[in-house]
Amino acid sequence: MSPKLLILLFLRRWHARIGFAAVVFFLILAVTGLILNHGHDLGLDAKYVHAAWLARWYGLAPEPPREAFRSRHHNLIAANGRWLLNGRVSGEKFPQPLGLVELPDMVVVASSAALYIYRKDGALVERLERSALPGTPVQAIGAGTQQLVLRTASGTFESADTLSWRPAPHDAIAWSVPAELSAAERERYAELLEPGVSVQQLLLDLHSGRFAGRYGPLAVDVLAVLLAVLSVSGAWLFLKPRHRRERH
Amino acid sequence: MIRAARRALALSTLALAACGIAYAQVYQEPDAFIAEVLGSKPPPKVLWLTKDIQGQAAAILGHPPAQLRQRYWSEGGKSVWILEETGKEELITAGFVVVDGHIDHVRVLVYRESRGQEVRQTSFLKQFKDAKLAQSNRLDRDIDGIVGATLSVGAMERMARLALYFDRLSHDKARE
Repeated sequence: MSPKLLILLFLRRWHARIGFAAVVFFLILAVTGLILNHGHDLGLDAKYVHAAWLARWYGLAPEPPREAFRSRHHNLIAANGRWLLNGRVSGEKFPQPLGLVELPDMVVVASSAALYIYRKDGALVERLERSALPGTPVQAIGAGTQQLVLRTASGTFESADTLSWRPAPHDAIAWSVPAELSAAERERYAELLEPGVSVQQLLLDLHSGRFAGRYGPLAVDVLAVLLAVLSVSGAWLFLKPRHRRERH
Repeated sequence: MIRAARRALALSTLALAACGIAYAQVYQEPDAFIAEVLGSKPPPKVLWLTKDIQGQAAAILGHPPAQLRQRYWSEGGKSVWILEETGKEELITAGFVVVDGHIDHVRVLVYRESRGQEVRQTSFLKQFKDAKLAQSNRLDRDIDGIVGATLSVGAMERMARLALYFDRLSHDKARE
């Protein structure tokens, strides 16, 4: 058997072996890469996976909810950057709330840097940041007579519509204060407010190998080298017999 | 081994989150932009997004609007809209000045993405000058993209369309 034929047989055998051994990993790389390429259209950055095992794997220590803000008809529990307003999760990456106030036609939640105005049915009407507030940081939120009251570093202000603010009198204000949750409530709400990982990040970590930890990217490097070897050996196997045919 | 993997993942998660915060670049405070355009900051007016308006806004943005009430500031025939839209992962805050149904000028006020800041350059933003709404709430012109900032360019275009649409509604409301 000629040396050229031996090389050809060797290449063919190892091309098949490497391809078969890495098929699962190549499929993962191809599928995750394909999805990531269209991540924005698919809204992947806004989608989160909430699972206790995933949070543990990511080293995200869940913070159990400890307190609730309650008004006559509404309640808010927060933990792990998530808000549970009237039993409905409001979203991700939310700040720690300072309080909740119920007005005749709206519910207002304050954080130190923003106000979140909700309709009674829980739909977000508006998020007010620094430029729309009479002062920041917000230190407390309360209710006067039909008025929303904010205590800020620049003073205490009141507003009926959250559009214009004026200095508030310091009496007859019911400040929102947190109420302790019972152990059973903590357990129930902790499950609903588990920390999440965005689908985009999860796919990126799978694609780059970071999901497997420190040595994951090295394993992906090895796969990249194997893919390069497969490309070269595949091209060789494709072209070599053709050269021979062309010579005949 | 598992602990090391977890630590690496937690660090990468924190690093990604930190990137989002670290790259927030405030070019101009919205208040300062409004005051610059109108001479001072008048009290805001509000446009309530009814079901119909939400539907049209969703068609423009490609997703439902984040809130049900939009503030704006106006004086004479000039209105100022401070809008926010996600580029790739983070919100871009931009100010739009609309005069007689045309965009007078646009400025990127806060940019939070790690890449694509080129959308704040005058050479890009001047494409919006005098743009108005054509059929189906589209702009009457094509906006040239920027390589590497495609999603931010898309967000700017969507916000421009929304500002013009909201401006038209605000005039309809004033006429009622």
